[in-house]
Amino acid sequence: MSDLFKRKSDEFELFEVDILNASDDELASVSAEMGIGLSVDEMKMVRDYFSGVGRNPRDIELQALGQAWSEHCSYKSSKKILKKYVFGIDAPQNISVIKEDAGVVEFDKDHAYVVGYESHNHPSAVEPAGGAGTGVGGILRDIVCMGAQPIGVLDPLFFAPLDYSGKIPRGTKHPKFLYSGVISGIRDYGNQVGIPNVGGMVYFDDSYLTNCLVNVGCIGFMRKDELIHSYVGGLGDLYVLLGGKTGRDGIHGVNFASEELSEDSETASRSAVQVAQPILKEPLIHVCLLANRKDLLTGMKDLGGGGLSCVVGEMAQPVGLGAHINLDKVPLKEEGMTPWEILMSESQERMMVTVTQENLSKVLDLCNVWDVEASVVGEVIKSKNVVIDYDGMNIFDMDIDFLVDAPLYARPVEMPVIDESEPSLSLPQDYNVVLFSLLSSLNIASKEDIVRVYDHEIMAATVVKPLVGMINRTTHGDAVVLKPLSTSYRGLALTCDVNPRMVGANPYWGSASAMDESCRNLAAVGARAHSFADCLNFGNPEKPDRLGVFHESVRGLGYVARGLSVPFVSGNVSLYNESALGGILPTPAIFAIGIVDDIRNTCTVELKGVGNKLYVIGETRQELGGSDYYRVSGVCGGVVPRVDVDVLKRSCAAVVSSIEKGAVCACHDVSSGGIGVCISEMIIGSGGLGAKVDVGSVGEGLRPDFKLFSESNTRWVAEVTNAGLFEKVMKENNVVFYAIGEVTGDEKLVVSDNGRKIVDAGASQIAKVWDEGIRNIVG
Amino acid sequence: MKAEEIKVAVMVMEGTNNEVATSDAFSMLGAVPEIVHINQFQKKDIPGDMKRRIDDYQCLFFPGGFSAGDYVRAGAIWAARMRATLKDDIVKFVRDGYPVGGVCNGFQVLVELGLLPGGSSEVIPDYPSAILRLNKSSHFECRHVLLRHVSRGRCAWTKNVGRDAVVEMPIAHGEGNFTLPSDTADAKVKELVSNDQIVFRYVDDTGKFSDEYPWNPNGSIYNIAGVCNREGNVFGMMPHPERVLSKYLLQRWHHMKGAGEEGPGVLVFSSVLDYIKRRF
Repeated sequence: MSDLFKRKSDEFELFEVDILNASDDELASVSAEMGIGLSVDEMKMVRDYFSGVGRNPRDIELQALGQAWSEHCSYKSSKKILKKYVFGIDAPQNISVIKEDAGVVEFDKDHAYVVGYESHNHPSAVEPAGGAGTGVGGILRDIVCMGAQPIGVLDPLFFAPLDYSGKIPRGTKHPKFLYSGVISGIRDYGNQVGIPNVGGMVYFDDSYLTNCLVNVGCIGFMRKDELIHSYVGGLGDLYVLLGGKTGRDGIHGVNFASEELSEDSETASRSAVQVAQPILKEPLIHVCLLANRKDLLTGMKDLGGGGLSCVVGEMAQPVGLGAHINLDKVPLKEEGMTPWEILMSESQERMMVTVTQENLSKVLDLCNVWDVEASVVGEVIKSKNVVIDYDGMNIFDMDIDFLVDAPLYARPVEMPVIDESEPSLSLPQDYNVVLFSLLSSLNIASKEDIVRVYDHEIMAATVVKPLVGMINRTTHGDAVVLKPLSTSYRGLALTCDVNPRMVGANPYWGSASAMDESCRNLAAVGARAHSFADCLNFGNPEKPDRLGVFHESVRGLGYVARGLSVPFVSGNVSLYNESALGGILPTPAIFAIGIVDDIRNTCTVELKGVGNKLYVIGETRQELGGSDYYRVSGVCGGVVPRVDVDVLKRSCAAVVSSIEKGAVCACHDVSSGGIGVCISEMIIGSGGLGAKVDVGSVGEGLRPDFKLFSESNTRWVAEVTNAGLFEKVMKENNVVFYAIGEVTGDEKLVVSDNGRKIVDAGASQIAKVWDEGIRNIVG
Repeated sequence: MKAEEIKVAVMVMEGTNNEVATSDAFSMLGAVPEIVHINQFQKKDIPGDMKRRIDDYQCLFFPGGFSAGDYVRAGAIWAARMRATLKDDIVKFVRDGYPVGGVCNGFQVLVELGLLPGGSSEVIPDYPSAILRLNKSSHFECRHVLLRHVSRGRCAWTKNVGRDAVVEMPIAHGEGNFTLPSDTADAKVKELVSNDQIVFRYVDDTGKFSDEYPWNPNGSIYNIAGVCNREGNVFGMMPHPERVLSKYLLQRWHHMKGAGEEGPGVLVFSSVLDYIKRRF
C-alpha cells in the first residue's frame, strides 16, 4: 500500500487517502490500487470536491464513488446517445418509464404492468450457474421494488457454438459448459422462487467465446394504487434492511461489469459474483409485497449493483433529503468484514425499505411470521448528505448529488463502414439438404430441452405457451401470452428478439430488424406492440469504433420505436463485452410487450386443418445479409433486411385484425431460415399435417433459393380459414399477400417454384432433424 | 355445510409457490380459503391475531413449490416440521373425516409425512411407505400430461371426475417418480388397487396406460400420478389441477371448438367441497 494511505482507526480498517496533494500518476495509482475503476480525470473531480470540503477522503468514500460512477451504475458513456434516440417517446400508456428500477405501464383502467431488463454477462462467464441465477434474482427485485408481483421471466442467452472445436483461450470455459451451467442456474433459481420462465432466446456465434451474454427480462403486474417508488417518504423515515445477511460476495461487481474480461478474471473476480439463495428470496418477495399492499412502506429499492452506499443515496436524493446510516446494524454473514466491504457488498436477497416510526412494529411482525430478517440501519435526515457511522465513529460524509450524479461523457465516435456487396453463391443442388441443414443448425433447432426444465406454467396464466402444438409434439411459439387477471380476458404478449449477425453487418438496419422481428412475433399471436425494453450488449465504449456501432444501433432502435409511437420503458446497457481476443457481435436484445384485447382471439404457430389456404404476407426481397442461409452456405455479405415502419405498422394491424376476426387460425413470422423454415416449424407442431405450396408468385424475379430462404422483414405465413375475409382485411390495410398453397394431411412438405418441385420432405424427418440439432451435441 | 362456511387452509412455508392459484380454485367455488404460514400454527412470538389452529378449518391443502428449497429431499423438511409440532392435531383432523390434499410438493410432503398412502391402522405411521424419487429423466420438467381417473369411488377429492375419464394437466417437478419398496412393490401395488387407493394414472394420447417417456413423465411405478389413503379423505397428486381451472390453460385449446370454459382441474376442488358439504 502506498504511503498516501494513512490508517485512521486502531479498531478496524479505515484509511485516509491523501489525494489533495497527489500528482496525476498518484491519482491513477490510488484508483488502480483500490480497484475502483475511476479515470484520472474523474479522480481530479473527486480531489476538487474534497478540497472544497477541506479534508482528504477516507478509502470507504472513494470506494462508494467508484461504485456510483461505474459505467454499470451511471450509464456515463451511453446516456447521451440513449437520450437522443430512444428515451422520451411519449405514449398515453406510460406511467413511470425509464426513471426507476423498472418501467411502469398501463394495462387497463385499474392495473399496470412493470418491465425490467438486466444483463449478468461477466459473472456468468466466470461462474455460469451462480451468475445466471443471481441475474434472475436481481431482476425480480427490480420488479418487486415497484410494488409489483413478478409474473414472467425471459432469458436471451448468447454463447459460442456448442460444438466449438477451436482453441479455448486460457481463463475461458467451453461454451458447452457455460451453456449447461447458465441454464441450470436459471432453472434452479427461477423454479424455486416460483416465477414462470416463459421465454427468451438462445443464439450461437463464435464471437461470444470469451464473453457469453446472459440477459434477463421480467414482467410484473399490480393494481395501479400499489405503485411504490424507489425513494423515501420523508424526514425521519427509517431505513429497514430486509432479507439476507451481508457478506463478501459480489464486492466490486459493478466495476467488474465495467471493464473488459481478461484471462485472469476467473481467479481475480470470483468474489465479484454473488451467491444465490432463492429460498431466502421467495419469502422476501412475499413480505415486501404484503407490506406494500398493507400500505406500511414509504419507499422500496433493491440492493443490486453498488450495494448499500448507492441505495441509501439514490433513495434520499429525489426528495432533497439525506441519509444517516449506522453500519454496525447491518447483519453480517461473516466476522472481520471491513466497513467498506459491508458498504460495497452486493450480497443477494436483500431489499431496502423505508418505514415511518409508527409502522415499524407492523413491518417487523410480518417479517417474523415469514422468518425474514429485518434490521433498522438508519434514518432519513435533513442535510443532503450520506452520513455513515461505524463503531461510534463517523467514517463517511458526502454530498448526495456529488455521490449519485456521475459525470456524463460524449466519447469519440467512429461510424462503422458498411459493406453489403453480394457474395457469389451458386444455386443449391438439393433444396432438401439446405432445408435440413438450416433446421438442424443451432440457432434454428429446437430449444425444447431448455424450455422444459423451466417451470413456464406456474401462476396458471400462460395461455399461449412457449412451446405450442400437440402434447409431446410441440414447436416454438412466436410470443407467449399471459392472462394476468382471472376476471378479464385481456392478455400480455411477450417476446425477446435480435439477430446479432445482422447488427454486426449493419448496426442501424440490423437493430431496426430486431425491432421488426419483435413486432411481428407479437402480431403473430394477435397482440399489438405496447412497450419495449432493450438490453444493449456492446464492446468497450472507450474505443471509438465500438461506440460508433452502439450509436448506429441505438439510432436504428429509435427509428422504429418512434415510427410506431411505442415507447421504450426500461432497459440496460452492458458495455465492455470483450476480451483481448476481440469484441462480441453487437447485441441489442429487444424485449417487446404487446396487449391482447381478448386472449380467446389469440393464434398459435402449428397448422390446424387439412384444406386451409396458406398465404405469405409481406414482400420478399433479396435481403440475405446476416441470414442463416448464407451462414450454412459458408458465405458472408449481402444486404441486411430493411424496415419500412409505415409498412410494419399497417401489416401488424392487418395481421392482428385478421386473427381477431377469425380469418386466420395459424400464423408464424418469417425470420431465420426464411419461408422454408417457417412452414416447416408450422408443420412440426401440428402432429400429422403437411403443406403443399408454390412460391412462384413470391418475390418476383428472385432466385428460388432466395425466395425460400431470404429473411426480409415484415412477413408472416398464415393459415387461413376464411380467404375472402382475410384478403379483404389485407387490402383494407394496403398490405401485400400471396396465396401459396394449402395444408395437407399427408405429413409432407412439398414446395415448388412455378410448378417445378424443389423441396419434398417428410414431416417426421423435418421434426427429427429439428429436434436433434442441439440434443445431438449436448445429449 | 354450505360452501361459504367452508374454511380452507392453503398451507405455506418458505419456498411454497402455488398457493395463489390454489386459493383461487377454492374461492371461485364459493369456499373461504386462507393462505396460512406454518409459523402461524407453531411460532410462539407472533401477534395473537395471526395465530391459527388446525381445527379452525374444514380442509387443509398443501400446494406445490420448493418448500425449504427441497434440500434433503423434496418435502422432507416441511413434513418433519409438521411431524414435530402438529402431528396430533392432524391425526385428529383426518380421523374426524376432514379432507387433506396435496399437489406436487404438497403431495411429496404428505408422502414424506406418511399420510399417503398411509398405514393400515395408524393415520401417520412412523415411517413413510412410499417415496417420490428423482424423475427417470433425472431432471425437472414442465409439460402437459394425460391422466386416467381410475378411482372406483373411494377418493373424496375426485368424485366429480368421471369414472375412467381422461383429463389433461401440467406437471412441473424434478422428483415425481412414485416408488414403493422394491422387495414388496408388486404386492404393494396390488394392495393399493384392492383398497381403491390409486386415483390417477398416466396414459398416452390414445388413452392407453403408458410406461413410455414422456407420457409417463417421471417413471412412476404402475404409471401412478395420484393416490389417496384407505379412507379416501387424504389425497395427493403430482400434476397440477389448480393450473387448469380454465380451458385456456390447456395445451391444445386453440384446436377445441365450442364447449364451456371450465378446465378439468375444477373437478378436483368441486369434488372435495361437495364431500364437505355432504358430510359436515
